[in-house]
Amino acid sequence: MSADDELFESMRLELRRGSLVLAVLACLRTERYGYTLRQALAADGLEMEESTLYPLLRRLESQGLLLSEWREEEKRKKRFYVLSPLGASLLDRLTTEWRAIGGSLDRLL
Amino acid sequence: MTTPSDDIIERWLEAVAAQLPPETRADITDELRELIVSRMEAREAELGRDLTPAEVEGVLKEIGHPLAVAARYRAGPDSLIGPELLPWWLYGVKAGLLVLLAIHALSLVVTLVSGPRDPGQAISQAFHGLFGSGLTLIGALTLAGAVMEHYRIRPKWMTEWRAKDLSLFGLSDPTTWGVKAREASKASTQGGVNIHPVRVRVGNSSPAGEAVFSILALGLFILWWLGLVSFPGLATFEIADQPVTVAGAPVWAALYAPILAFALVQMAIDLFTLINPTAERLRALLRAAVAAANLVLLWFIVQAGDLFVLTSAGQTATVAIDQAYLTLDWLRMLDERGRDLEGVALTLSILLTWSAAVMAVAFVGAILANLVRMIRGRAA
Repeated sequence: MSADDELFESMRLELRRGSLVLAVLACLRTERYGYTLRQALAADGLEMEESTLYPLLRRLESQGLLLSEWREEEKRKKRFYVLSPLGASLLDRLTTEWRAIGGSLDRLL
Repeated sequence: MTTPSDDIIERWLEAVAAQLPPETRADITDELRELIVSRMEAREAELGRDLTPAEVEGVLKEIGHPLAVAARYRAGPDSLIGPELLPWWLYGVKAGLLVLLAIHALSLVVTLVSGPRDPGQAISQAFHGLFGSGLTLIGALTLAGAVMEHYRIRPKWMTEWRAKDLSLFGLSDPTTWGVKAREASKASTQGGVNIHPVRVRVGNSSPAGEAVFSILALGLFILWWLGLVSFPGLATFEIADQPVTVAGAPVWAALYAPILAFALVQMAIDLFTLINPTAERLRALLRAAVAAANLVLLWFIVQAGDLFVLTSAGQTATVAIDQAYLTLDWLRMLDERGRDLEGVALTLSILLTWSAAVMAVAFVGAILANLVRMIRGRAA
């Protein structure tokens, strides 16, 4: 990878980082467990490593934005996550903010 | 029955679990196990067969090294010293190393001037001392930074700084050392030509700047006092090719703990000055108290009289403070003292007695000045 490509990749990751929380919160309007959440994000073009996703889920839960529950499905115990009322309210505010930033950037770009 | 693949997964999970706090360990490893099994099932569905142990290992490698995976779950900071503290840490290291360099250079000059010692050996010792004390300084600052990072400690002097307190930060650039004094000197000789003469503010320097410098100097002193750093040339020197060892008199052993405690208290006061730069009256009171304590400490040292014992070639001579040396005749006779052990001890005794007298006057002056400032509500 050339120096330009490396620089681009590092900036691309930086650009993406801020949007991942929003994407995870949005995806968890519907209850999912970790693996299916990752698949859903990937299906919408947002690949996310497990080593990033799982700790993020725990952090969001400890912040009161997600609720989780261990439940058996297909003969295996899985931990399901869903947006909490606080998470839903925060997601609405963040969505507004995101659209405002997007609008500003669109005008600039 | 466990399979080789199960063993591989369990070994990976155990390695992750060992890095996690006990209260979350089981919960996190259960979730990770579920993730691994989900990924394996998806892969097996693609291939239409069970995965080989090598392929299971491949799945684990995609998830990440146990240390890296566990680190993502850690609640504390991601780095030992984060981006907010790093500039402060760098400044401390840079300024501290420059101060150490200056001290070691001075010590080296004293060593080389005091006797015909092998210069190569003296330089090598100076480098050795600088290296050791430099590493100690970096280690101590890193430890302090890591504690601040871990407990999210952000003192007021980091966040509520004032432009007038920033002058000392130029210390980390040695090319500017003494520039102000030279400019002031130039300005005074140029008379009215200079429209904006540079003024040196004697006795009106930044309290926070003085405090930072004092903390660095006290830190070095405490490390030396505890025996954690050493400066070549202080414990041994040479007279006429003969090595002379310097041993402290009993007074230093008796005052060891009080002096250490006093240095720590002074450091605490300097830290207080940094944290509360506007508490001028309280700072003046504390400084007056420090000067008074200094005076008491000096009195104990003067009362003891003997300070050091010099030993060379089986002979000993004592360096002592004696009020009898406080006459101009003794000062005039300094040049006539011999360069033998007795002569050097007497010279040091006279110089130290006069130094003690000057210090006593300075401490009394500091007490009075700070009491006046306390009354007027302004500490300098």
